[in-house]
Amino acid sequence: MSAAAPKEKPSTNPILWVARPMATAARQFAKSLIRPSTIVYPFERLEDPKFREEVAVAAGKPLGVGAVWDNYRGVHALNIATCISCNLCAFSCPDVCIQMVAVPDAQTKRLKKCPEIDYGKCSYCGFCSDACPEGCLTMTTRYELSATKRADMIYSPEKLYEVFQRKLPMNPIRLERPKNEDAILLDAPLCIGCNACARDCPTQCITMLDIPKPTPKPGEKLPRRIWKEPVVNDSDCVRCGTCISVCPKECLFWGTHT
Amino acid sequence: MTVTLYSVAQSIAQAILGAIASVLPPAGRGVASAPVVTGLAVLLFAAILLVASMLNTIVLIWFERKLLGRFMDRRGAMHVGFAGILQNFADGLKLARKDTVRPREADTLGFWTGPTAYLVTSLILFGILPVSSGWNSGVLPLSLLLALAIFSFAPLFIFVSAWSSNNKYSLMGGMRSAAQMIAYEVPLLLSVVAVVLVSGSFDLTTIVEQQQNYWYGGPLLLALIVFVAAMLAEMERIPFDLPEAEAELVEGWNTEYGGMLFAFFMLSDYVRALVGSYLVVLLFLGGWTMPTWVPSTLTSFPLAGIVWFMIKTYIVFGVFVWVRAALPRVRTDQLLRVGWNRMIPLALLSVVLAAGVVYAKCLPVFGCVPGLGG
Repeated sequence: MSAAAPKEKPSTNPILWVARPMATAARQFAKSLIRPSTIVYPFERLEDPKFREEVAVAAGKPLGVGAVWDNYRGVHALNIATCISCNLCAFSCPDVCIQMVAVPDAQTKRLKKCPEIDYGKCSYCGFCSDACPEGCLTMTTRYELSATKRADMIYSPEKLYEVFQRKLPMNPIRLERPKNEDAILLDAPLCIGCNACARDCPTQCITMLDIPKPTPKPGEKLPRRIWKEPVVNDSDCVRCGTCISVCPKECLFWGTHT
Repeated sequence: MTVTLYSVAQSIAQAILGAIASVLPPAGRGVASAPVVTGLAVLLFAAILLVASMLNTIVLIWFERKLLGRFMDRRGAMHVGFAGILQNFADGLKLARKDTVRPREADTLGFWTGPTAYLVTSLILFGILPVSSGWNSGVLPLSLLLALAIFSFAPLFIFVSAWSSNNKYSLMGGMRSAAQMIAYEVPLLLSVVAVVLVSGSFDLTTIVEQQQNYWYGGPLLLALIVFVAAMLAEMERIPFDLPEAEAELVEGWNTEYGGMLFAFFMLSDYVRALVGSYLVVLLFLGGWTMPTWVPSTLTSFPLAGIVWFMIKTYIVFGVFVWVRAALPRVRTDQLLRVGWNRMIPLALLSVVLAAGVVYAKCLPVFGCVPGLGG
C-alpha cells in the first residue's frame, strides 16, 4: 500500500471491528518476536555505527561507550589552553549553571577564569558553545553523567578538559547568523584613561592611545586623568562586554559605527 | 494402579508418620493409624495442590507480561531470574512488606473479608478442576456445576469489598462488576449447557474422556466462541475491564486497597484467568487427552497428561492476552447490549446446534460410537 492511498473507511461490519485489530496485533507480535524495538540499555546502547570504532579507540574504552548520533548534545568539552576567559558562556547560559572559576593555565602558570558547569542545572541547550568566540567550549555526544552526589554533578574546568582530552566526537554548535555589527563606543569626555578596559580585555584588542593634553584656559581646571583613550580593534573584538563592565566611569557602551 | 496426586500424598504421609512412630515408645505407635494417615494425606494433598497451582498462577502472570511485551514491541520483565521469571515473586515480596491502609470511614469487616473471600473462593476452584487423570480430587459427579457455582461467587465479594471501601470509584466499579458478571453469567452457562448436552455428563473427567475422538470445540465452535467471550467478561479482562477502568475509575473496585490485600486481588484475578483457561481446555479442547492420530510417543511419557493440559492452557491464555493487546475497552452500554442482545441468542443457538450434534452422533453416516454420551 502506498503512502498516498486513501484512508480506509471504518467498516460497518462488527466482525471486522474485532478482526482487524487482532490481525494488526498479530502482525506486530510476529515482527517483535524476533527482536523488539527496545534495547536493553545498560547492556546495549543506541549508537551511531559510524562513530563506534574511532570513539572507542580514542577513548581507550570498549566498543560503543556513550556515543550516539553526531548532533547529540551531551557533556561539554573545554580546551583550557585556548579559553580567553571572556565570560560569554556564563553570560549566555539561560540556567545560570556556568560559573567562571580560576584555574592555573598550563602554559603561563597564571590563574585564569574558565567555566565550571553544574550539570544538575544544565539543560544542554548549547548556547554556551554557540557563544564561545574561540570554539574552546563545545559539546560532545557523551550522555552518561549519572552521579550519586550533587557535588559530583558540578564539572570543574579540569574535568571538562579531561573530557576534551578524550577526543569524543564533538558537536560544535555554530549558528549561522549575520555578522555582529555591535561595537564598543566611547563617551570620550567621561574617560579617565585608567587602562582597566585594556587590562581586562580577553583578546587584547584594546590599545590605549595618547591624546594631546589640552592647554587649560585661564581659570579653567583640567580634569585629573591620564591623557590616554581606548581604541577598540573591531575585527579582533569578540563582543564580550568585559570592558564595559569593568569601566569605572561607565563611559564605554554598545553602539554601531555610523 | 495409576499414580494419582492423592496416592502420592498418602504414601508421603505414611512414610512421615511411620518414621515418627518408629522412634516413639510403643505407647505412641498409634500416630501411624489409618485415620491419622488419611488426615495428614488430605492436608498434604491440599498443600501440594495449593503450592503447585499458585506457582502456576505466578508463571502465568510472567507469561502474560512477556507476551504482552512482545505485542507492544518491548520485552517485558527482564532482569530478575531467567528472563525475569522471578520478577513476580519480587513484586509479591514488595507488596507483602507494605502496610495495608484502611480508610477511616471504611467498613472494617467488609474491607478485610472481601479480598480474602475473593481469593479463597478462587483458589477452591483448583481443587475441583481436574488437570489430568492423576491430578484431580477423585470422582466428583457434578464437578462442572460446582466449579461454575463457585466461579460465580465473585461478584458478591467484589461488591462487598467495593461497597465497604466507602469510595465512589470503588462503588461504581463494584456496581459495574456486578452488572457485567450477571449479564455474562447467562451466556456462559448456556454455552456450557451445549457441552453438557453433547457429553451427557456434569463430571469434568467424563467430559474430557469423551473428547478422545473429537474435541467439542469443533462441532460446538459457536459455543466455544460464546464461552470465551463470556469468560473474558467474567474475568474482567480487557476489553471487558470496565470495573477496573483505570482511565475513568482510578482502579475500580480495588482503588482503596494496597499492600497484601491488593496482591490478593491481583492474584485472584489471575487465578480466575487460569481457571477460565482450564475450563476452556476441559470443555472444548479435550483436556489432557490428545487425538488418536498423535503418535503415542508424544502422549505416553510420564506426566504427559499434565504437560499437554498446560500447553493447551497457556495457548488459550495466549489468546486472551492477544485479545487484550488488540482490543480497546468497550463502553458500559455496548457491553450490556452485546451481553443481552447478542451473546444470549448466540448461546441459545449453540444449544440448538448441540442438540443437532447429539442427533448426528447417532446417524449411521458418522457411526454411532457406543458408550460415548448422547
